[in-house]
Amino acid sequence: MDIFTGLINGFSIALMGTNILFCLLGAVIGTAIGVLPGLGPAATIALLLPMTYVIGSPVTAIIMMAGIYYGAMYGGSTTSILLNLPGEAASVVTCIDGYKMAKKGRAGAALGIAAIGSFIAGTVAVVGLTFFAPPLAEFALDFGPPEYFALTTLGLLLAVTLSGGSITKGLIILIVGLLLAMVGLDPISGKIRFTFGSIGLQGGFDFVTLAMGVFGLGEILYNLESTLKTEIVTKKLGKLFPTLKDWTDSKWAILRGSVIGFFIGIIPGGGSVISSLASYAIEKKYSKHPEEFGEGAIQGVAGPESANNAASSSSFIPLLTLGIPGNAAIAMIFAALMIQGITPGPFLVAEHPDVFWGVIASMYIGNAMLLVLNLPMVGIWVQMLRVPYGILAPIIVLFTTIGVYSVQNQVFDIYSMLFFAALGYGMRKLDFDPAPLPLAFVLGPMVERSLRQSLLISGGDLTIFVSRPISGTLIAIFVLLIVGQTAFFIKRTTRGKKTAAT
Amino acid sequence: MTHMRKVTLFLALAMIAMLTVGGLCFGAEKYPTKPIQVIVPFAAGGSSDLTARTVEKFWTKYSPQPMLIVNKPGAGGVLGEEYVVRSKPDGYTIYVGQGSGHDVVMPHLQKMPFDPLKDITPVARLSIHSIVICVSGKSPINSMKDLIAYANKGNKVTAAVSTAAGSVDLVMRAISKRANIPITTVPFAGGAESTTALAGGHLTIGGGHPSEVMPHLKAGRFKAIGVALDKRDPVIPKVPTLKEQGIDVATWGSVKGVAVPNGTPPEIIEYIASTLKKISEDPEYKKAMASISQPIDYLGTKEWAAFLQREYKDYGDLIKELDIKI
Repeated sequence: MDIFTGLINGFSIALMGTNILFCLLGAVIGTAIGVLPGLGPAATIALLLPMTYVIGSPVTAIIMMAGIYYGAMYGGSTTSILLNLPGEAASVVTCIDGYKMAKKGRAGAALGIAAIGSFIAGTVAVVGLTFFAPPLAEFALDFGPPEYFALTTLGLLLAVTLSGGSITKGLIILIVGLLLAMVGLDPISGKIRFTFGSIGLQGGFDFVTLAMGVFGLGEILYNLESTLKTEIVTKKLGKLFPTLKDWTDSKWAILRGSVIGFFIGIIPGGGSVISSLASYAIEKKYSKHPEEFGEGAIQGVAGPESANNAASSSSFIPLLTLGIPGNAAIAMIFAALMIQGITPGPFLVAEHPDVFWGVIASMYIGNAMLLVLNLPMVGIWVQMLRVPYGILAPIIVLFTTIGVYSVQNQVFDIYSMLFFAALGYGMRKLDFDPAPLPLAFVLGPMVERSLRQSLLISGGDLTIFVSRPISGTLIAIFVLLIVGQTAFFIKRTTRGKKTAAT
Repeated sequence: MTHMRKVTLFLALAMIAMLTVGGLCFGAEKYPTKPIQVIVPFAAGGSSDLTARTVEKFWTKYSPQPMLIVNKPGAGGVLGEEYVVRSKPDGYTIYVGQGSGHDVVMPHLQKMPFDPLKDITPVARLSIHSIVICVSGKSPINSMKDLIAYANKGNKVTAAVSTAAGSVDLVMRAISKRANIPITTVPFAGGAESTTALAGGHLTIGGGHPSEVMPHLKAGRFKAIGVALDKRDPVIPKVPTLKEQGIDVATWGSVKGVAVPNGTPPEIIEYIASTLKKISEDPEYKKAMASISQPIDYLGTKEWAAFLQREYKDYGDLIKELDIKI
């Protein structure tokens, strides 16, 4: 069955009444859990998995679950922009400029451009999926431990450079993040690290606990000090939707973000985090006003949001064409397919074309539905900023605490969150930008694991990283970036000395 | 008292009375009265997870309450099991995945936060499947003999294993000792990751469960060169055992059992075991398990406990004999 016949067949399935209904249901549920802290798409899909046996048609079930997955990406940006609360690691980058825009009264524009960018990116990704899935999937397989090491280390470097402030401070926060990630069991040998005998720490810290503590509670604690504030936004709220200027400013960011997210998202593992990081870094580089980044540049929202949405769509590629799940949520969808007797992989197209094409077609429809759902909601969300902080802050505390507890049902996690809140408060008092912390926390374990795996494979030989084409290229980029930064730094300080001397 | 206060007091007392009586009634009902949480200590999509979900699909046919599958991956299965060890023994938290590497191999090789044989109560065995040794489809190796020749020529042999000190890890080390070739085992975060890495050709060989490797075998991305069992695995009958190829390594394979926290009442254990037995005999269940390449091998409570002890001892002997250390 060639592509066009397949697509037409797929649309005829996706446009069936039940399937549209479940697509909408999935998108709504996904957006809701993306907004609410704690419950992520993986856990939600897991909870709803038994539904798939009774729905009847496996296509319908997968359509709904896919809707939940990419819907969550849409929802995650809402809390990042409005409240500086990243629901997932991929949303951390959106917080940086998104929240600043919200504080300036431009929350509507930020939310709007995030929704539009996500729609365009999602569509680009699905088009790419339709036409280029098999060869791209093979490309994903070429990523072995050395490539993962190179990619995630590059991600760490990008995370440091993101912090608008000094590189030194960024590095300190990065190391703190790496140390926090080491708490728990060693991924390679299984030995216990840094738990000081505590059972609750054996699983390590959870990302949600860290994010809610550092960003949510930490921010609230810091804000409590300034008694003058009554609302998050004191200025006039401004236009609710992005202006034409916003659109012309962002359109290249969206396109670039879509492509970046699409390709990086195919790689199982770090897909959406690294793609949003890479997009932000590239937008900053190509911007005519790089100083705006970190203060509310709309490209800083448009690019990463497009990237992480494209990544969440392209992460279906390894699943559908190779049968390899790239992350926890996709693994749930994989399990659902297997239980139905459908084995995802290269034979999926031939054995169950209705599943393959039906899901792909539904992704086009789902993206459109999400845009229609989210744009009108922007007006409602923005009103949240009008709520007096005295009422909003306790509500945030309540929701984040419930969200944190819901992850593992451990009271210990709430204590951890308080620890992170203190950490977040301290960081803000000392003028440290907390953004690199969650990024280092997520990327750190990947760096460590892939480094040790690579060295096991090579027998301790470090040249394995440069002798392979993909990792070699990534390492080269890494080195170039460091050299570039150092040269720039030296030039600046020597120039400073010169002007001081004259 | 005013009229309103009397009404309020009356309503309050009535509610308290209803709740108390209701609570007592609730307690006296037969188990199960609410959904049962099933902890799977591995990631979704793996063989333990798929087995648990297949059981769950048929559980509601024979039991009034559903199962809630919760994945708690980490440390090769230790984290999830530990959660169950410390859970209330009320029959509403059960563990699927007992008998895997972390229960019978790991305790011999490293310190564990609990004793898998004493700190948890076995209920029943569900399935045993083999560990299949595979190579990448593009590899020049087609059999264990080829592998030995490859190693003897001085080539480095790297093996992808799902977790450190797990059953696959042990099989690889055992092969290394018995065939006298150096094999470096590289642990990953679970079966899916290790099979993906092998599919990319980044390692020489890898070990996995039939449900994990079957799609890759069918796609030609993998070649199976041996199974670590006494007899050939009925799911992949064409693949010879290691013993047939002259390597004396055979294990019990990967065993999937069910367990509950210590102190769970015996009637509840009996209920779970007998329901699982009924499910194992269900023809639809047999079809579903076959489609995920998972053989059905039910064993009741007492026999399962005895089997676990034997498994543990055999692995211990093997490790001591081969002098395997982490």
